[in-house]
Amino acid sequence: MKKMNFKVTRNLLFIFELISLSLIFLYNWPNFDKNTIYLSLGLIVLVYVSNILLFKLSKGDHYIFLIICMLMSIGVIMIYRIDQNLGLKQLIWLYVGIISFFITYLIFKLYDNWSKHFNLYLISSYILFFATLVYGFRTHGSIRWLSIGGISFQPSELIKIILVFILACIYSDRTYLSSPRISKYKEIITMAIVYSFIAILFVQRNLGASLVFFAIFIGIQYIYTENSKYTLLNLMLFAFGGTMGYFLFDHVKIRFLTWLDPWKYIDTIGYQITQSLFAISEGGFFGTGIGRGQPNFIPLAYNDFIFSAIIEEMGIFTGIAIIMLYLIFVYRGFKIALKQNDVFYRIISIGISLLFGIQTFIIIGGVIKLIPLTGLTLPFISYGGTSILTSFIALGILQGTSEKYNHGGPSDE
Amino acid sequence: MVMKMFNIISILAKYIFVFIIYMFIFLIIRMIYLDINSLSKHENFKGAYLKLLNRLEDLPYKLNDSYSIEEEISLGRNNDNDIVLKDPYISKHHFRIVKDENEYFIEDLNSSNGTYVNGERIIDVKKLTYGDIIKVGNIEFMFINQE
Repeated sequence: MKKMNFKVTRNLLFIFELISLSLIFLYNWPNFDKNTIYLSLGLIVLVYVSNILLFKLSKGDHYIFLIICMLMSIGVIMIYRIDQNLGLKQLIWLYVGIISFFITYLIFKLYDNWSKHFNLYLISSYILFFATLVYGFRTHGSIRWLSIGGISFQPSELIKIILVFILACIYSDRTYLSSPRISKYKEIITMAIVYSFIAILFVQRNLGASLVFFAIFIGIQYIYTENSKYTLLNLMLFAFGGTMGYFLFDHVKIRFLTWLDPWKYIDTIGYQITQSLFAISEGGFFGTGIGRGQPNFIPLAYNDFIFSAIIEEMGIFTGIAIIMLYLIFVYRGFKIALKQNDVFYRIISIGISLLFGIQTFIIIGGVIKLIPLTGLTLPFISYGGTSILTSFIALGILQGTSEKYNHGGPSDE
Repeated sequence: MVMKMFNIISILAKYIFVFIIYMFIFLIIRMIYLDINSLSKHENFKGAYLKLLNRLEDLPYKLNDSYSIEEEISLGRNNDNDIVLKDPYISKHHFRIVKDENEYFIEDLNSSNGTYVNGERIIDVKKLTYGDIIKVGNIEFMFINQE
């Protein structure tokens, strides 16, 4: 029964991808190159095969990968429609992403001592951060890129996952921070680590990422701290820091002002957000249809603002469906955490679900003007090599934790 | 000409897309629902099970209200037991209950503090009947067989 349902769902995904592919080629009718056809057909087959493979291979959760496949298909169609070259690149990144999903999943499943490398996680994240500060280069007003051998990537995306591991190590009491002598200061040291990360991100002007870091930290702390006083302290620090940021830093102030009233600044700093709102209202219930709207009017439509572009051409119904897909995904993540007996893996699955949930909320909330806009990618949908790659790595880890039942690292004797 | 055809197809496709995506979501939710449903049916034990007599709130560790006994169930401090009790009075492998031709037998696995059935410390194996009270440390279970 269940198996048959999976087959139907998989086939629906397959049909969706085929229709959209043919639509895209009709859109570019006279001029299209053969490589793109082969690449996209290959991806469709890869998605189909990997869903079957995962169903056979994994005893854990079977829904998350299926949901993500749907989301990324919607994303890549939209990116390809906005910019063919970027769409082609995104197709290649999706190949890399799916393959790295399987690699991460297998490594995570087979290796058992993930909780023993606290120092390694800590040192590597500081190295990545400082390397970005020293060697990084600037785009759209923030230093967040690092280039190694011609390939540039955003270290902060990777550090997000490492942060989850660091917090999982600390709160599962597997580090020296829980030794009786210094366990009193555990919370303070944790806060010092996380705030140093956030401070570096703030210097890099990466507001979105610092918000995600803070949210993951406060979420895990709220669940696992022995003293809820610290959570309250953190919230107060956040409110204080936010207010200070508003008065001290221009880029914080701009985000806030354009959130309150973008129409006043429609020609300058409010341009992005107003274009995004126009696009959303243009779409209506079912959208204008792919290839019939003007998503190119929105700056960064392929990246931060892809949600508005999708709504313009595919309608608010698709927009709601995307939010629902993310909701089910995060729900499955928490479900995995509830089933997990080992505290370390439980925190990891909570952390990763929080990561995707918060990131989606912040960017979707930003483009529909629900909360102030901060630049983040919509996981699995937006264009971006690092974003796609690290999201798939995180997904692989989540898939791995869904299987590590009763495994337990070192037993608590 | 091609452009006109494209427009018609694109308008058609947008409805199909919305339909497919919602169908997809519906199927996933239905599968999850069936999953949860089969789990909660599993909680309404049909056969034999152990019912915890202590109040869950009084215990410093996490336990379930009841544990179904399929073929065999084991209790102990180690993580590979079916019921894991992180209690210093419990041995790593404390006891197990085995089903044999529709009858259930409890076997003490050389635990240091012993397993008590209705107040009597058991030596190796004892047959269980409906309503027997199994005591380990200060945890008490009642054995219930509905077959």
